[in-house]
Parts: sequence; C-alpha cells; structure tokens
Amino acid sequence: MKKIIFILISLVLLVSCERKIDEFKPDANGVDFSNFVAVGNSLTSGYANGALYKSGQENSIPNIMAQQFKLVGGGEFRQPLLETEDGVGVSITSNGFYYTTKLSLQLIPDMDCDGKPYGTYSLKPSLYNPNVDQNTLKTNLLAKPAMDGPYNNMAVPGATAQTLFMSGYGLWNPFFKRFATNLSTSIMADAVVQKPTFFYLWIGNNDVLASALEGTDRLITPVDTFAKYFTRAVKSLAESGKSPKGVVATIPDVASAAYFSTISSKLPYNSVNLTAAEASGLNTLYSMYGHPEIVWKEGKNPFVIANSETEWVQMGPEDLFLLNFPTDSVKCKGMGVADQSGAIPKPYPIPGEYVLDKNEQTNIQNAIKQYNEIILANAVQYNLAVADMNAYMKTLQPGIIFDGIKMSLQFVQGGVFSTDGLHLTPRGNAMVANRFIQAINSKYGCNIPQVDVTQYKGIVFP
Amino acid sequence: MRKCNLLLLSLFLWGSATFAGGYQVGLHSMRNTGMGLIGTSLYSDASALFYNPGGASFLNETWNFSGGLSFLMTRTTFQAKDVMYQTHIKDMVNTPFYFYAAGKPLKDFCVGLSVNTPYGNGLQWDDNWEGRFLIQKIAFKAITIQPTVSYKIKDIIGIGVGFVVAYGDVNLTKAIPLNGTTSEGSMHISGTAINYGFNAGIQVHPVKGLSLGVDYRSKIDMKVKKGKATFNVPSSLSTEFPENKVDVTLPLVSNLDFGASYETGKWMFGLNLCYVMWSEYDSLSFSFEKETSYVQRTVTPSLYISKLIPRIGVQYKVNDIITARIGGYYDASPVRDNYLDPQTPSDDEIGITCGVSIYPLKGLSIDAAFLYLMGIERDGSYSPDNFSGTYKNTLYSPGIGLTYQF
Repeated sequence: MKKIIFILISLVLLVSCERKIDEFKPDANGVDFSNFVAVGNSLTSGYANGALYKSGQENSIPNIMAQQFKLVGGGEFRQPLLETEDGVGVSITSNGFYYTTKLSLQLIPDMDCDGKPYGTYSLKPSLYNPNVDQNTLKTNLLAKPAMDGPYNNMAVPGATAQTLFMSGYGLWNPFFKRFATNLSTSIMADAVVQKPTFFYLWIGNNDVLASALEGTDRLITPVDTFAKYFTRAVKSLAESGKSPKGVVATIPDVASAAYFSTISSKLPYNSVNLTAAEASGLNTLYSMYGHPEIVWKEGKNPFVIANSETEWVQMGPEDLFLLNFPTDSVKCKGMGVADQSGAIPKPYPIPGEYVLDKNEQTNIQNAIKQYNEIILANAVQYNLAVADMNAYMKTLQPGIIFDGIKMSLQFVQGGVFSTDGLHLTPRGNAMVANRFIQAINSKYGCNIPQVDVTQYKGIVFP
Repeated sequence: MRKCNLLLLSLFLWGSATFAGGYQVGLHSMRNTGMGLIGTSLYSDASALFYNPGGASFLNETWNFSGGLSFLMTRTTFQAKDVMYQTHIKDMVNTPFYFYAAGKPLKDFCVGLSVNTPYGNGLQWDDNWEGRFLIQKIAFKAITIQPTVSYKIKDIIGIGVGFVVAYGDVNLTKAIPLNGTTSEGSMHISGTAINYGFNAGIQVHPVKGLSLGVDYRSKIDMKVKKGKATFNVPSSLSTEFPENKVDVTLPLVSNLDFGASYETGKWMFGLNLCYVMWSEYDSLSFSFEKETSYVQRTVTPSLYISKLIPRIGVQYKVNDIITARIGGYYDASPVRDNYLDPQTPSDDEIGITCGVSIYPLKGLSIDAAFLYLMGIERDGSYSPDNFSGTYKNTLYSPGIGLTYQF
C-alpha cells in the first residue's frame, strides 16, 4: 500500500514540472545594431495607400526590423512621424504640388455611362477624406515631427540614387523638407552624420519607376549615373565613421507591381469587337485622319495608343495598362477606338501615358538587371548582406501561402500591395522585413528573430 | 511548478489532440488504464464488451456493471519557427467516460451494452495566436453505443460481436485573414453526425492462466450533413459570406488489436499490439451549400499513417482488498512531419500508467487509474498552409470508476 502511494506521489511530482520548449535565442554574433540608419525611398518610409501617414510609418520595413534588432542590442529607432492618419500624398502637376489624403477601399455605387447608379456597389480605392483642403494637407505634411531628430529612418518618398546627394533637396521634395536638418542639406549628409553602426540601403526603384509611371522609358536613370551614385551611397555609409555593417536590397521588376498588372488582367489588349461593316468604317475614319497604318478587321481588334501626336500604334498582348487608366472612357466614350459623341466621329487613341508597352518594359527590365548587378557588386566589395527583393517579388507573383494566409501581387485580393498598387500593406512590409532579417542572419551569422506576419494587417475592408 | 487553471471544466468534452497520436481516446476502463491501456485479452469486468466482445462470455458473474470517468488534462506548447513566439493551448479538462452492463442468461452466453467515448479532440488556442488562420478552437466528440452478444465454446473460445452506433458532434472556429477597420474575419462551423459500424472479437484460453485475443473495430465515417457555417467578416464583404450549410466527414478510424495475458498466482502480465488504421484519415473536406468567390469547397489534407502501438501491463493482487497495476506504452504519431497541424498537434508519446482497485465488499470495486503521457518534442510544419514550429505535449489523466458484479 505504501509503495502504491509512493508511486502515485512520484507520478504527480513528475507531471508537476512544466515541460517547456527552448525559446528562440536572439544573437547579434558581434554585429552592432545600436544605431541603425535606413536610407531609401517611399517603400522604406512607410508610404502606403498613396500617402504618408502615422500608422503607415509605424509599419515601415526598417521600423519592423528595428523592433527585432532591439532583441540583439538595437537602440531606439526614431522616425519623422506625421501626426495625421488622413495622410498626405503629393503629386506633381503643371501648377506645382497637389496634395491628397491617403486612399482607402470603399464601397462605391456602380454607374452607367450617363452617371445613373445601377444599384450595385463595388469595392474601389477612393480618397479617405476628400474634404481636406490643400493648405491643411500641406501644413500637415510640413509640420515639424513631434519627435526630434536625428531620424534613423532617412527614407524619403521620391528619392533616387542621385537625389540622395542633392543639396537643398528639401526645396524640391516636401517629404524631405519636413524633416531635413536644414534647407541646404542632402539626405545622405543627414544620414552619414549620424554615424550608423548598421545601415540599410534600398534605393533605385524610382530610377525606373518614375519613368514607368509616365508610361514611358525616357526617364530611366542611365546605368552609369545609377552606378556612380549607388556606389557613392554605399561608400558614404560604409565609411561613415563606425565602420558599420549593413544590408542592401535589389530592385524588383516594377512591371510586377499591381499598378501595372491589374487592369490588363481584366481588360485584354484586344477587347474591341467589330463587325465587318464597323471595321471598314473605322478604316475609312482613320485614313481620313492620316493614320491608314491602323488597320481594323472583323472580330477582335487591339486598342489604339497614341505614343505621340503622330505615332499611333495598335496595342500588343504584352503591353500593360496602368492602374490610373480611365476604363470608364473605354466603356462610355470609345477611348482606344473612336469618339462617337459628336456629330462626326473622331479617332480616339489611348494616350500613351496610360500604357507601359513591351519595349518600355524591356528597357526598364534591362536597366533593373544592370542596377542589380551594380548593387550586388557593391555588396561584395563592402561585405554587405543582400536582400534579393527582385527574386522575392518573383516568388510572390504566382502567390504564396504563409501561416495560412494566401498572398500574391494581385491588387486588393493579394494582400501585399496597398490600395495604390505600388506600395505595400503592413503585412507586405512584414514579409519584406523578414527577408531583410534572413539576409542579415545568413550574411553575418546572427540569429535575429523574424516577426509574426499574422500580426500585421493586409488590405483593410470597410 | 506548473500552474493549471481548471476553469474550463466541461463535462461533455473528451479526447485530446495529444492522445493516441490523433483523436482517439483510450480510457475505457480504469482497470485496463492502469495496465498500459491493454484489454484485448482481459475479461475481468464488463469493459470486455468494448475491448473484445469475445471476452465478455468469459465473465464469471451473472451481472456485471462498470462505469467511470477520467479527467484528462493536456498541455501543448508551441514555439514558432524563426519567430520569438511561444504559446500553449488553454488549460482545460476533458472528461471521457464509460458505462458497461453485461448479463449472462446462460453460462456460455452474454449480452451487454457498452456506452463510451472512443474518439474526441478538444483544444483551444489563444484567439490571436499565430496559427489562428488554421485553427482557434475545436471540440469534437463521439459517443458510441454498442449492444453486444458473446458466446463461448467449451470454455476455450469466446466469440462476440457488437453493433456500434456512433453519434458525433463537432464545433470548430478559426480566423479568416480579412481585416476590417477594427476586427478580423472568422468562421464557425458546427454540426452533428450519426453512423454505424461493428466491433467483433475472439478470445481464446488455451491453457490455464493464458488468454489470447484479437478484436476488430470497423471504421465509421462521421458525416456531418448540413452543418451550420457562420462567418464574421467586414460588412463590405458580407454578401460574399452568406449564412451557410456545410458538409464535413471525419472518419473514426478502424482498429485491429491483438492481446495476450498470463495470470499466475497473484500476478498477471499482459501485452497488446494495437494497429490503428490512421491512413483512413487522408483529408478533411468542407463542402459549402452556397459557394461564392470567397467561400469554396476546401480540402485540408491530413495524410495520416497507420501505426502499431505496443502496450504492456502488470497486475499484482496484494490481498483480497487491494489489487495494484502498472503499465506503459509507446504511441508513434500517425502525422507526417510536413502535415503537422495545430488542430491535432500530435507527437510520439510514451505513456506510463498505474492503478488500483479496492474491494470494500464482495463484488464491488472502486477502480482508480492514472495516466501520464510524455510527448517527445517535435519540429514540423503544416505544408498546405506553410505553418511551421515546434510542438511539445504533456498529458495526465487521473480517473475513477466503479465495478459491481454479482
């Protein structure tokens, strides 16, 4: 009997011990993360949904990384946070800067061509707050950030490799002006003076993107210019005083962004269906207007694009519509074919700025390829970690699943791109931040934990 | 020392993901539980109706009643891969039970009824945990009711068969990765099912003291028809997630058990080999009555592997009042490393048991048993959802029952 009691008591004691799994053990492996400085563009600044705003910045890629660095000796990560959640986005017009709030996904009534609602609704990105005036938005943007500098997140929306070194860049770019130390400084000067112990450099997207956004290849930064300034940027950071280690990232193919792939996936390039009579009528019309090279035939026809006043072409299967393409004009006004609203029909080509054609894509892709070679060569020379974002975005293209969340580059449903189709959601940023952390761990033998991606939101539905 | 809040005491939940690898529960008699959960060759009480209907005809008394209840407590800890995140399931007590009644109108013939809970799974993770898009909460339970006949030939061979009616009930909640401005989507599924099967066995007593047994329990598909599916999603998507009906099928897998035991003097030694045909559970599919672009038929593969569980038990009759038991077994997980799902976070387990019966009166015994199950830490992922981490299970289950025979 005593034996039995003894056995029972021993068993109870045995199970009384909590059986634990070893916790993750963060380890810097000697790398000094105490002063982490990030240099980049909108993707790094926390810009999302077409604007910069507080919670977007709080979910910026380097801020997500910095919270993990704190587990391996990282310090405070100061960001020039906006106070507003409305956000401020800036576009450049012929009259100067035009300010808007961020976008959000909203249920918008579907309208017919006469502007009458069908009674159905679709989810579309729309201005989060259309009633804020230009002055208020400008004031919000240029208000001194509540937190004083120096700022660890030196990323500036719109920055290119070259403009990192542009003195007085604040005069040209309000996103820098709002937190620059003075009006004559450059981004890199304000970054380097902080003597980072670890740096992040992801720059070059705008060197091709600005061009792509105009539907052209004419604004691509020449490769030797990119090489000169990128190399100078790495050198400046690497030799900034504390011989920091760092991470750089490759440039993803901009054409893979939802901004360029969304419309074309729904509106095929050859959506113009014609009868023989209609085709012959259009041929006559186009000849009359001096464009006999455009040939219409019975059946499916490609849209017509005007690359210039005189250069008109028919769209090819690999040409991509931009997200700002006014699809209503196709449906209601005959854009891409002919404007039949007046007494006499007129040819109505699609302005070239709405289409990124195959040649432009090829030129952009060639530039990206060469930029990336330059980025990799610099990483080797300065012994830096490389987050290969170009390769990573390619894996996201067909879609992946992670922790039970399906993600892809698809607009809205994909959950990676925010409602502007170019910048990432917090969840997209978390996925990317994890790629940076993986690159750092693998290069420097650190053991920095990744973030729990499920704690970051994707697209927010109303 | 561990803290264990036994707040979520629910009388109608049993089973545990950690038990018997998958969702099978082995606690059907305190006497057998004490001996490493063996039973195929035993015939000391009416639990033979379940363990081996062939053994019921060897019961000594005309009337045999047994009933009991276990208090199953599980701790499953999860450490995410590459992330500084560790959590564990909520502490709860699941209570599998059994009740058997067997009567022998003739010396060689026995009829009986078995009511017990051979399958179940109940666990709850934190609502906001990393794996919430796979599972937040599951409560699955099955009761089987089994009228049984058993007949023995020349005191050597007993054969028996039972008709099994299984009633199942499932509740499942998981999060949906769709963000509203303040909340996240979720799905809740509930339903019931009823189906039939059989339990047949043979027990042989070739020489005095030796008993051999074999028992087969058939697979029973728990087909939930038109279960209720409700969704909680951002309002702009509500038309995509209508109130819905769902069909789900979960198999109660078949078992083939072999047992041998030898009784000499005050001692009895027993051995069981239980072959659990887990490969019958290859996927769980959810078919919705109304499909939309968001709500579609989903198949979650499980691809379980059939496993053989060796069990061993010893009994010692201390005196006329006290009988003591001890046992153990090794239960290899039926789940593949790349199909390790937090819904059933199974690992290889070592079970240690002990038990005692006290006879205050002739024919009446109070049976108690204790089971300690030590899971072996396991890395794995559920690849269809790309969810990875390390799991560790611990389970203990004290239980008590009564046996009355006359």
